[in-house]
Amino acid sequence: MATSRKVTLLSSDGESFEVEQSVAVESITIKDSIEEGSAGNPIPVPKVNSKILAKVIEYCKKHVESAKAEDRVDDEDLVAWDADFVKVDQATLFDLIRAANFLNIKSLLDLTCQTVADMIKGKTPEEKRKTFTIRNDFTPEEEEEVRRENQWAFE
Amino acid sequence: MASLESLTEDLLVRIYKGLASDADRKSWRLVCRDFHRIDALTRSSLRVLRVEFLRSLLANYPRLDTLDLSVCPRIDDGAVAVLLTSRGSPWAFPRAAASSLSPPGRDPLAWTRGLRKLVLSRSTGLGHHGLEQVIRACAYLESVDVSHCCGFGDREAAALSCGARLREVKMDKCLGVTDVGLAKIAVGCGRLEKVSLKWCMEIGDLGVDLLCNKCVDLKFLDLSYLKVTNDSLQSIGSLPKLEVLALVGCSLIDDTGLQFLGGGCPLLRVIDMSRCNGISSCGLVSVAKGHEGLVQLNASYSLTECSSILLRCFKDLKNLNAIKIDGARVSDSAFKALSNCTSLVEIGLGKCIGATNLGLMRLVSGCVNLRVLDLTCCHSITDAAIFAISDSCRNLTCLKLESCNMITEKSLYYLGSFCLLLEELDLTDCGGINDTGLEYLSNCLELSCLKLALCPTISDKGLGHIASKCRKICEIDLYRCNGIGDDALAALSSGCKKLRRLNLSYCSDVTDRGMEYLGQLEELWDLEMRSLFNVTGVGLMALAAGCKRLADLDMKYCENVDDSGFWALAYYARNLRQINLSHCNISNMGLCMVMSNLTRLQEAKLVHLNKVTVEGFELALRTCWVRIKKVKLLAALRFKLSSDVRETLHSRGCKIRWD
Repeated sequence: MATSRKVTLLSSDGESFEVEQSVAVESITIKDSIEEGSAGNPIPVPKVNSKILAKVIEYCKKHVESAKAEDRVDDEDLVAWDADFVKVDQATLFDLIRAANFLNIKSLLDLTCQTVADMIKGKTPEEKRKTFTIRNDFTPEEEEEVRRENQWAFE
Repeated sequence: MASLESLTEDLLVRIYKGLASDADRKSWRLVCRDFHRIDALTRSSLRVLRVEFLRSLLANYPRLDTLDLSVCPRIDDGAVAVLLTSRGSPWAFPRAAASSLSPPGRDPLAWTRGLRKLVLSRSTGLGHHGLEQVIRACAYLESVDVSHCCGFGDREAAALSCGARLREVKMDKCLGVTDVGLAKIAVGCGRLEKVSLKWCMEIGDLGVDLLCNKCVDLKFLDLSYLKVTNDSLQSIGSLPKLEVLALVGCSLIDDTGLQFLGGGCPLLRVIDMSRCNGISSCGLVSVAKGHEGLVQLNASYSLTECSSILLRCFKDLKNLNAIKIDGARVSDSAFKALSNCTSLVEIGLGKCIGATNLGLMRLVSGCVNLRVLDLTCCHSITDAAIFAISDSCRNLTCLKLESCNMITEKSLYYLGSFCLLLEELDLTDCGGINDTGLEYLSNCLELSCLKLALCPTISDKGLGHIASKCRKICEIDLYRCNGIGDDALAALSSGCKKLRRLNLSYCSDVTDRGMEYLGQLEELWDLEMRSLFNVTGVGLMALAAGCKRLADLDMKYCENVDDSGFWALAYYARNLRQINLSHCNISNMGLCMVMSNLTRLQEAKLVHLNKVTVEGFELALRTCWVRIKKVKLLAALRFKLSSDVRETLHSRGCKIRWD
């Protein structure tokens, strides 16, 4: 019954965030370190800067709140809220993925990864490369081989 | 850094898994070497199109659990032998040399250990020797599908029995398998959970009995069209875990047999007893009484009448989801009883005598959760019934109204107003509908399959309404819709980009202009265009060049298409698997080009090709005899074709039908 307990999270660039414990334990990483008793107070969150940590906390707060609400209508609202939440620039999106991975927040990880997948759907390989500044490192022979396989070899 | 590459590999795998379509995954693997590797390590299922690529694909995809070779030509004992040698055989498959993209030192036979599911359906060239080799090599195989390998018999069954870990065997239409073969499988594969033996007519009670004795874990059993008797049902009754049982067309069983079933198979959920002439309501009562967990009951065309006792039984089946009593005589009291089964989601009442407006209104007043309703040939229903159905069953997704000729545009108005989740609508032969009706119907934005065959009263205008709003349409049937012409195709090509299946047979107003529009439909896969007199080679060329995915083409009686069209077909339509060219004016050369260039062609109907000589047929068949699986030829050719050609085709497992 420690739902009203607060913990403090410390971002990699030194900013502190005070949050309810129920929100913080959306992250399995933080949950584990609290349970093991190895977390100090404040709990350091390396690799995640304050801007991203603030967004992650916002996500966790919203999801904890709507889990408490008994109203089923919130389901659709939550989906809409999530869709808005990921309308950020690419750099932030990738940082969110990394943060969700490190902090082990499955729903956020699924949401952000699916968002990136949706972003590249329907794009040609060249468009995909342009979008994410990737270099084409195939040799011409290799690229031809992959193209041929794509067209003729399998479904 | 906004670079996708700066994410770790496991994160990239997660993103890759979010790509649902094959096109996206193919585009992914072309981006860069890292992405190519991620595809290679994550892809778990492969449907191989050409045997030349098979070996290198298997070497490069180590995590495969499913391999589908059903559309890959030339799968035979020789191909299997090459696949299973651990050393490369470059002379057999030139592209099998290790690609620079695959990491060195990879064991080319690693795939055999990971494979769980193997699909070899229609691999008619494979023999028992090759089959045994591959089953033994893939020691962890759990599921094998050899359906439609019509020449398979007991030796092939014995080969399958080497798969001790097999849980699922599909042997539909393996016509040579007898009780002896089935016994071998039963003894060798004790862990079987799912067995399908449709049309394996040589199998009888003896084989079924042994199967039920040895494979006690069976959950799914399909014995449709077999000559099994009540004795089999007694054996089946002893299966403690059986959940799904299909006995379609088993004319030798009757109510006595069903009583055995009633007392056994405690976990039975789904039973399909359609087209079983010997059973009646009485037998079904014993099944229903013994199985309160029954979810689906299919007795289509088996019952002449639905007794009141049977109907009362349905009320006790709290989980009953789907019931099909097509062909039975039903009364208003039957509908009243059915309306008490509020859990029903699917009802089949096709050709039910006595289906009236009043009865249906009673039915839907109770069954408000209905999603699928089949009222094929319920001639006496009118718009009033459709109103009641639309109003009560707002979740309706599939409605079949074939031959309900009293239905008018009013019904489509009701559907377009209330049933906005409608995906599938069959209005075949509904003479009362018109363009206005289609305009009303276009409000159903989820519509994906629309059948308007034999509706002469609809025209391009009506279809235009549908095409402009219903963007999810995948399948349209316009067979013998005389009012349809090029403008309808124009509308379809701009509005229904997802169209996969189209039937335009006998829509004789369609010209080359219409074909050009069709060429813009990139997803078109199955086209039936019989008897389109106004289409010439120009039209066929436009179609072939544009519809790259075309796999199934029926152009019987398209007599004005000349060779220029067929040459284009031979050049462009590389994914064609089935073709009907009967009664077309193709020349010797044209036929030879088509049969030799289209390397994925498996089935061809070549009856009444008046311009093709015997030599022309010989040459054409010789170019494709390694891969063609089914061919239909004029009976007169039987004694004119050289024995050489006929024997080779036969030995490759090709089936020749003489018309």
